[in-house]
Amino acid sequence: MGEISRILWIYRRGLGAHVRSMMEYEADFWLLVLAGLLQQLVGLAFLGAVFAQVPALRGWTFPEAVLLYGFASFVFGLAPLLFDGLWRTAWLVNQGELDYALVRPYPVMLQVSGSYVGMQGFGDVTVAACMIGWALVRVDVAWSPLTVLIGLILLASAAAVRISILAASTAVAFWLHAPHSGFAMAINQMGTLARYPLTIYGLAVRGVLTLLVPFAFTAFFPVSWLLDPGRNWWAALVTPVVAGACVVTGVRIYHRGVRRYESAGH
Amino acid sequence: MIAYVALFRTSARTVLAYRMAFWLGVLGGILPLVALFAIWGAMLGGGRTLGGLDWPQMRAYLLVTFGTGALVAAYGDFRMANRILDGRVALDLVKPVDFQRSRFAEALGGVGMELLSVALVAAGWVLISGPVLVPHGVQAALFAASLISLVPLKFAIMYLTCTLCFYTQNYVGLFWARETISALLSGALVPIALLPAWLQAISALLPFASVVSTPALIYVGAASGTTAVRLIAVQVLWTAVLWFGARLAWRFAIRRLTVHGG
Repeated sequence: MGEISRILWIYRRGLGAHVRSMMEYEADFWLLVLAGLLQQLVGLAFLGAVFAQVPALRGWTFPEAVLLYGFASFVFGLAPLLFDGLWRTAWLVNQGELDYALVRPYPVMLQVSGSYVGMQGFGDVTVAACMIGWALVRVDVAWSPLTVLIGLILLASAAAVRISILAASTAVAFWLHAPHSGFAMAINQMGTLARYPLTIYGLAVRGVLTLLVPFAFTAFFPVSWLLDPGRNWWAALVTPVVAGACVVTGVRIYHRGVRRYESAGH
Repeated sequence: MIAYVALFRTSARTVLAYRMAFWLGVLGGILPLVALFAIWGAMLGGGRTLGGLDWPQMRAYLLVTFGTGALVAAYGDFRMANRILDGRVALDLVKPVDFQRSRFAEALGGVGMELLSVALVAAGWVLISGPVLVPHGVQAALFAASLISLVPLKFAIMYLTCTLCFYTQNYVGLFWARETISALLSGALVPIALLPAWLQAISALLPFASVVSTPALIYVGAASGTTAVRLIAVQVLWTAVLWFGARLAWRFAIRRLTVHGG
């Protein structure tokens, strides 16, 4: 336990140091926060424009769709806030700059992931939380202490799935050697599909998002459970299991990558 | 002129050298399109129309917005921004070429590959989901004109944003703020006719719609004849205003440059 709390403490310190250095560029800091806010508001405006035309989209009403969108945005906003350094993996490998991290007595993946903070995450998370709040007042959920507990577990599981996909996809840089994370970007763009009800897609897209790159577990399945636990009871069971599998796979792929690291640059 | 041709060629070759990254970027750009297709497809099923567009028109509209998004993107504003931020711009200033024209030549270098990638994606899309509307005759010529004039316009918008780097000393925030505003007000997410009136009014005051909405509306035939000509004239006007506005802004911004190190 002492080891884990030490790791968490160092991680928090690393992020804090970076936030302080980002505050040096104050104008850009506020622009980033504002951009995050705007981006979510634009998403909301899009949903608003869609639902101004139709009352429901494949069975999803406006508040339900906002809940789904907000949930997905919240989970996605956590990644830039806490693990944005993963995006630097490609550059570090390409330049052979991972050496420092290798000699320190601290997990390499955490050193990289904690080395940067995406300030737009502040804006993302704030607006997403407001969207969730706004929607929860309007949708029909049978609240009980158990609902809250399972809801929180599902939120944590969704975040774990999201961050594991990010870690695994950025780790591909250890094999590709390119200076930027084009592959990871393509994979993570797929996450934008998860902000809308999965039922609007064809079978192929649904299959990919559920089985191959499990973005469906970052929002659709948890929110479906919350809205109708009777019919979607299994989602509450499967999501944490998928999350566990994703974390193990993600960490393993990243470590396998680190072992391939050659320090020479490319 | 020879100097600009050399920059054009180098930039075109860079795109070719990092082919993998380029194509992955294209792939990444297709995925949001899948979501938009699914949503509008669900809404426009059964022969409904929204904002004057039916489903075949909407499919073409979305495909054109993807294409306009892919153009003048490979060169990357970050490359220019980094030159300003790490001080290499000082070297550019002593070279006997015009900075703005040089960057434009580099941006043009990527356009060939970008057009090819858009054509391939469109072809793939047609193979998977069936034929797409194609404009004929005058309408096709108008579309070509609007497509050509969006290239310098899109560049000018990018260039002007980069100039602001002299003030913020970082580019990420600027980039995202511009991308976000443009996504909504350009008609890339929702045709502008479907936006609330106050957003339409703001959109009409900004150049973003000229980059996305104009060519898309002309392509699907929602804007034709004098309306189309007027929209293209607006494009040209914006290009002129922003191109020379950027020159003026550059002259002020350059005074803020401090290069350390050495």
